[in-house]
Amino acid sequence: MGLKKVLTTAISAAFILGSLTACAAPAESVDGHDEIHLADGWVRVSEYSAEAGGMTGAFAEISNHTANDVTLVGGSSASAMMVEVHEVVMVGGEMKMQAKDGGILIKAGETITLEPGGLHVMLMGLKAPLLGGETVELTLDFDGAEDITVQWPAKASLAGDESYEPKG
Amino acid sequence: MGGAAATGAIVGATGGAAVAANIATAAAQTAAQLAAQTAVRQRSEPFFGSHQNGIELDLQSHTNFIALDLHAETNIRAFERWMNLLTDDISRLTAGVAALADPHPELALGPARLTVTVGFGPNFFTKLGLEKQRPESFQDLPAFKIDRLKEEFSGGDVLLHVSADDPLALSHALRSLIRDSVEFASVRWSQQGFSNAQGVVPTGVRQRNLMGQVDGTDNPEFASDDFNNLVWINDGPEWIQGGTTVVLRRIAMQLNTWDLLGRDAKEQVIGRNLENGAPLGGNAETDPIDFEARDARGLKVIPDFAHIRRASAANIGERIFRRPFNYEGTPAADGTPDVGLLWTSYQRSIEKQFLPIQRRLDQFDLLNKWTVPIGSAVFAIGGGLREGETFATRLLG
Repeated sequence: MGLKKVLTTAISAAFILGSLTACAAPAESVDGHDEIHLADGWVRVSEYSAEAGGMTGAFAEISNHTANDVTLVGGSSASAMMVEVHEVVMVGGEMKMQAKDGGILIKAGETITLEPGGLHVMLMGLKAPLLGGETVELTLDFDGAEDITVQWPAKASLAGDESYEPKG
Repeated sequence: MGGAAATGAIVGATGGAAVAANIATAAAQTAAQLAAQTAVRQRSEPFFGSHQNGIELDLQSHTNFIALDLHAETNIRAFERWMNLLTDDISRLTAGVAALADPHPELALGPARLTVTVGFGPNFFTKLGLEKQRPESFQDLPAFKIDRLKEEFSGGDVLLHVSADDPLALSHALRSLIRDSVEFASVRWSQQGFSNAQGVVPTGVRQRNLMGQVDGTDNPEFASDDFNNLVWINDGPEWIQGGTTVVLRRIAMQLNTWDLLGRDAKEQVIGRNLENGAPLGGNAETDPIDFEARDARGLKVIPDFAHIRRASAANIGERIFRRPFNYEGTPAADGTPDVGLLWTSYQRSIEKQFLPIQRRLDQFDLLNKWTVPIGSAVFAIGGGLREGETFATRLLG
C-alpha cells in the first residue's frame, strides 16, 4: 500500500520534472543516457486507445549528442504487446502510417521530432484502456546507443493526418 | 522550449559574428530594441512557491475565470490524473513554454505574466468524498436580498483563474488547459475581464472601474504582515495551508441610471471623490477616513449609507483583500451597456471576514441602487506547489 503510493508519486513527479527538462546534456557526458537526449515526450489518448487491444502513438524530440549516428529501431512497454517505429507516408493520395523499414536514423549531432502526422513510436495491443494523465513507461531501443527507459504522460490530442488501419 | 529558444536565437545571431564594429553595434542595437519592444511578453511570474500565484501581484491586463463541474464518473484517481496534466501544463505555460502535444506551439506566446490559480468549490469535496479536506466553514454563501444571481455565472466545482498581460497568450493557454480538462469535467461558465493595458498607468496606481471610481483602495499591502494575516491560511488541513479562499461576484453596473447623478451625488454614494479616490474630507487616496467629520451645516461629510462607511470593517480582523477586474458584454439594442465588475475578495475565512461586510452592504448601501450581483461563486485555493507536486498531491496525501 505504501510502496505503490510512493512509486505512483515518484513516477508522477518524474514525468512532471522530466517533461520540462531542456536538452542541455553536454556532448562529452560519460553517462550514455545523457548522450541521447529525449525531451517533451508524451503518448496520445484517442478513440483508438480507449480499449484494451487498441493502439496509439508516442512522440518526443530526440537529440543525438554522440559522435556517432544512431538508429531508433523499436521498443517495449509493459503497457503494450508490441512497440514499433512508424512513419506516415502519402499512399494513393492519402496519408497512411506504416512500420519504418530500418528504423529512424538520427545522425550525430542531429535532433529529430516524433510528432502526430509524422514519425512516431507506435504502441500496439494496449493491455488496458489508456487514461489521460496516466504515466506510460516505455523503453526505446537504439542501434548504436544503449536502451533508454522513459515515463511519459498520456494526454488527449486531436488526430493527425494518418489513418490508423487496424492490423489484419 | 519555444520562448526561451527564440530569445536565445535573437541574441545568438549577433554573438559569434566577427564583423566590423559599427555593424555589430547596429545589430546589437536591434536586439536591444527588440527586447524593449517585447518587454511585456518576457515578464514572467513564478509557478512554484509557498503560495499559488495570481493573487498577491498587480493586476494583469486580461483575465478569465473558468468554472468546471466534475463529470459524474470522475473519481479520486481520475481527478489525480487530471491534476497531473494541469500541473504540467501550467508550469510550462507560465514559463512561456507550450504545453505538451500543443498543435500550435507558436501560439504559446507567453509568458506575459501568465498565472493560473486553481480552486475547488464547496461541492467538490462532497463529490469526491473529501469532506475531511474541506476548510473550516467553507460553503456556499447565504442568499442576500440584493442578489439577482444567474446560474450561468454562479457555482462550480473547480476554478481555473487564468490571467496574462497579453490576450492571445491567455487565450492559447486556456485552450491547452481546457483541452486537457474535458475528459474529467465540463465547462460550467467563463467570465472574462480586463484592466488597463501595460504601459498605461504608473506602477502602483490603482485601476478605475467602469463607474469611474478608483477601485481597490484600502487593501492590505503586498508582502506585508497584514496581507499575510488576512489572506494566507495557516491552519486547518495541510493542503490549504499557504492557500486562501476566494469569493467571486459578478456585479452588474447600471451605468445609464448612475450617469443621471451629478458628480457630487456620485461621490456621496461611495464616500470618496472621483478625482483621485480620496475619502470625502481628505486629499489623498490613502488618507484615513474620518467617519465623524461634519460639514458647515453639521451634516456628516460621509453619508450614513455611503458605500465605504457600510463596507468599513467593524474590527481589525474583519478585512479582505480585493482584486477586481472589469467586465464588458454586448450592449443592448437601446445602447444600455452590459458592464460591471468581476469582484473578488481573498481572505482566510469567508465567514469571519467577508460575510460581516456583505451583510452590512446587503442591509443598506447607497451603491446598491446602481449595482446588482448577478453571479456568485466561492472556491478554496490550496497552498503553493513545490517541484514534483501536483494540485492533487497534498489534497489526497
